[in-house]
Amino acid sequence: MKKRNRVMNLFYIPALILFSIFVIYPLCKGIALSFTNWNGYSQTYKMVGLSNYTRMLTDKNVIRAFINTLIYGGMSTLLQNVLGLALALFLNQKFKGRAVTRTLVYLPVMIAPLIMGYVMYFFFSFNNGALNDLLAVFGKEAVDWLSDGKTAVAILTIVNSLQFVGISMVIYLAGLQGIADMYYEAADIDGATPLKKFRYVMLPLLQPAVTSSVTINLIGGLKLFDIIMALTSGGPGYDSHSLSTLVHRTYFASENAGYASAIGIITFLLIAVFSNLIVQYLKKKEVEM
Amino acid sequence: MKAKKLLSAALAVGMTVSLAACGGGTEDSAKDGAKDSGSGDGKTIVFSTNVVGGKADALEAACKAFEEETGNVVDFQAPGSDYEELMKTKMASNQLPDLFTTHGWSVARYSDYLMPVNDQEWAADIDDQIKGVITNADGDMFVLPVDIDIAGLICNMDVLKDAEVDVDAIKTWDDFAAACDKVAAKGKNPIHMGGKDSWPIGQFFDWAAPSFYVTDDANSKAEDLKGGKFDTATWESVAGLLDGWVKAGYLNEDCLTADYNSDIESLASGNTAFCFYGNSAIMDAKGVNPDANLGMIPVPSASAGDEPSLIAGEDIAVGVWKDTEVKEEAVELLNYLAKPDVMKTIAEAAGSKAGLKTAEAEIGDIGEYLKKYETVETYPYFDREYLPSGMWDVMCTTGADILSQKDGAVISAAKVMEQNFNDKYMP
Amino acid sequence: MKKKNGIWRIPVLIVIFCVYFSPFYILTVISFKSATDLSSRWEFPAAPTLDNFRTAIEQGGILKALFHSFVIMVIAVLLIVVVGSLAAYPLARNKSKWNKVIKAFVMGIMMVPPLSILVSLYSIIVDMGGVNQYWGIIIILLTFELPQAIFLYSNFISSIPTALDEAAALDGCGPVRTFFLIIFPQLKSVTASVVILAGIHCWNDYQFSLYVLQSSEMSTVTLAISSFFSQTTSNLNAASAAALLAILPVVVCFLCLQKYFIKGMVDSAVK
Repeated sequence: MKKRNRVMNLFYIPALILFSIFVIYPLCKGIALSFTNWNGYSQTYKMVGLSNYTRMLTDKNVIRAFINTLIYGGMSTLLQNVLGLALALFLNQKFKGRAVTRTLVYLPVMIAPLIMGYVMYFFFSFNNGALNDLLAVFGKEAVDWLSDGKTAVAILTIVNSLQFVGISMVIYLAGLQGIADMYYEAADIDGATPLKKFRYVMLPLLQPAVTSSVTINLIGGLKLFDIIMALTSGGPGYDSHSLSTLVHRTYFASENAGYASAIGIITFLLIAVFSNLIVQYLKKKEVEM
Repeated sequence: MKAKKLLSAALAVGMTVSLAACGGGTEDSAKDGAKDSGSGDGKTIVFSTNVVGGKADALEAACKAFEEETGNVVDFQAPGSDYEELMKTKMASNQLPDLFTTHGWSVARYSDYLMPVNDQEWAADIDDQIKGVITNADGDMFVLPVDIDIAGLICNMDVLKDAEVDVDAIKTWDDFAAACDKVAAKGKNPIHMGGKDSWPIGQFFDWAAPSFYVTDDANSKAEDLKGGKFDTATWESVAGLLDGWVKAGYLNEDCLTADYNSDIESLASGNTAFCFYGNSAIMDAKGVNPDANLGMIPVPSASAGDEPSLIAGEDIAVGVWKDTEVKEEAVELLNYLAKPDVMKTIAEAAGSKAGLKTAEAEIGDIGEYLKKYETVETYPYFDREYLPSGMWDVMCTTGADILSQKDGAVISAAKVMEQNFNDKYMP
Repeated sequence: MKKKNGIWRIPVLIVIFCVYFSPFYILTVISFKSATDLSSRWEFPAAPTLDNFRTAIEQGGILKALFHSFVIMVIAVLLIVVVGSLAAYPLARNKSKWNKVIKAFVMGIMMVPPLSILVSLYSIIVDMGGVNQYWGIIIILLTFELPQAIFLYSNFISSIPTALDEAAALDGCGPVRTFFLIIFPQLKSVTASVVILAGIHCWNDYQFSLYVLQSSEMSTVTLAISSFFSQTTSNLNAASAAALLAILPVVVCFLCLQKYFIKGMVDSAVK
């Protein structure tokens, strides 16, 4: 059996080669760069020690982006799960048109976030924007939707959530369909109200679905990039940047590649730690149930 | 039996993979082969450019004509707004295109990577308005200026006429503000700025800063800037100018979220008087409304004792990578672009003046304005000439804070500029 | 369940319909309007024109871009399936202390923000001569889609009884034959998930393609569209037409194979 295992380990080789050349090696180089003041293109640079890391602590743009990233990750996850579960409950009922509705909600998942961002700009732009045209119909003043940082972050979160809520929806639908009728019947016999049935029968049995839905939404939200680039470019100013788009901006536009690398490393750690914590927590809950 | 079926399934997958891989491979090599065989001993020259739209089409057409004439192959690349990032990545790995356009940075950023062109035949014919801009401290030039970007404030003449503004009377920023008041009184937008992508905000600083720092000979801070000294108080005046406009309501309400396209749309449709763009914006605006009466005026001065000025910079400026493996062919293409008739066609597509004295582009209205202001003194783009590389983004973002009227934005803009200037300055 | 009055569903359905249909509606309307038509984006074009589509095809090279995207996606997905399932097999079967480490490692790679390694990655591809080549982008997409594939496969293989392997071993099958003959054929449903998830990602990829495929001759759909939108010329209408053409195949494909798409998604999540 030992030998068999050794042969089996050879199966790792193609993947390992790819990972070491295209991920590990560049990552190490990136870590090395985070201790320099490289501008991103010149052939020379200086070592600056830890200063890129200490600078981050007082850089309000980084702090802003850090908070935004947590909002994009956390709020998208919350929205997508609440809405996804609601949609799943709604569409789990039998009525005409539910298949079409399901298709329609799931469709945007297929579409490149970049394109979605461009399309959304048609809605939110001030002049000739589709939303403002609607307001005009009701005699309301036009609103400059994306001009305030907080609103912009909220809009980006909502757009991202609505685009990808289909994922949570189908996960919950599958979860709901996996719950055997006997549980409901048992609850009925006990005289449970619909609310109680939801709380004490459905939710616990949906726990695995919650875990996977949350994990997917969380990683997606924390890595949010394309849609921000297309809709606000991180603006106004630096107000709607996520850490990923901030890295991009710092790297190329501000010509602080060393600093950008440092932010990139921190982003990586943040995503890894944060999503691991959540997943561990949910897994533990699954066992308890 | 079952095992056999499985085996064949697995084999099929394996085959498809290898076939597909081969397919990809053969196609590539076939393509390369076609390139080689079609042109005898022709070589492939990579030509990468930041320009897009009509200009890019004209350049590409010139390259096609060059291919037919010489048998070489030109791999023409126009990645649009991602160009600058791509070039930075390429410089980082020291792998540049054989020929590329330098978008204003032939001296400050790219000169280490470019072959000097002083000894080319056409070097003596380079137009004087651009010559200084593309020459470094040692007198070396690195690019062929196919055309020249000479810019003032572009404006919708009908809107100004309607508001009874006399464009020739706008000499200082105070006159400009008075004109804006008149336009605003007519219910039109004095200035349209598309701050979503932040570069249009930077445009303002490039337009306004020279009048405060360098155009007034008696008070020029050019030497200071080049010597590494940044005058913070003067920047407060520049930023204060923008701040004053925002407070006076001269800017479009959505100045933080509008983009270039909406600027153009607003200017072309007669809702806006002024924009801070080069003349190519006039060409774009004509695309939206061919009947728009668009023109330009020189950039006002900061003080009454000074004269208005224009900004001159590279538009399509092409250089040859100094380490290219196809130097001979690349230089041949460069010389081809320098031919008067080729240059004329491209400059006309760009709507700007040709870069060599040997070529004369016919560019209609814009040409007349350029003639009208021929004697106005020109200055280079402020950030390219007087600020260290990497400051552009700082100008844009500090400008965005002013547009959104954050507390103390003017003061902090000047402070952040100073800090970054000192960080990035290299003697 | 008791029969209830379903009238309340109608407003809910209307809201869902409005929210999800309007983006497609707006995109379609804009792409049929001429550049000089500045009417409201809700309004139907006064004089519908196909010019934008012509521009998208002729100048934007959208058809060629669709072809490139297709080739890249197909080859990348095939490789992801093979390399991913191969690596997942020992991961699911060799229960050693290294197992956890490798699993954590693979998960970790999933979380690396591509930007932080972009420049070094780019210089490697340049050194290998992979710029503007199919294989250059394919190998990168393959690498970055692998963790998810490995993850899905190893979870799935873990649920296949080891008795199957043991029986094969007794029959004298080595690990290679066991994998290809016994295990791989069991993986149909999870392979469908991997194909769908990886396929969508490859098709929609923007960041990597941007750096690897620089020649406009080699543009994929996302690149073609972004260059259309980001150009500083105001032809949003043609850009919209290009976007419409680009999402059309995905939408059609999804509508035809909807069942598999959703099943794939669910399988991948609830495992």
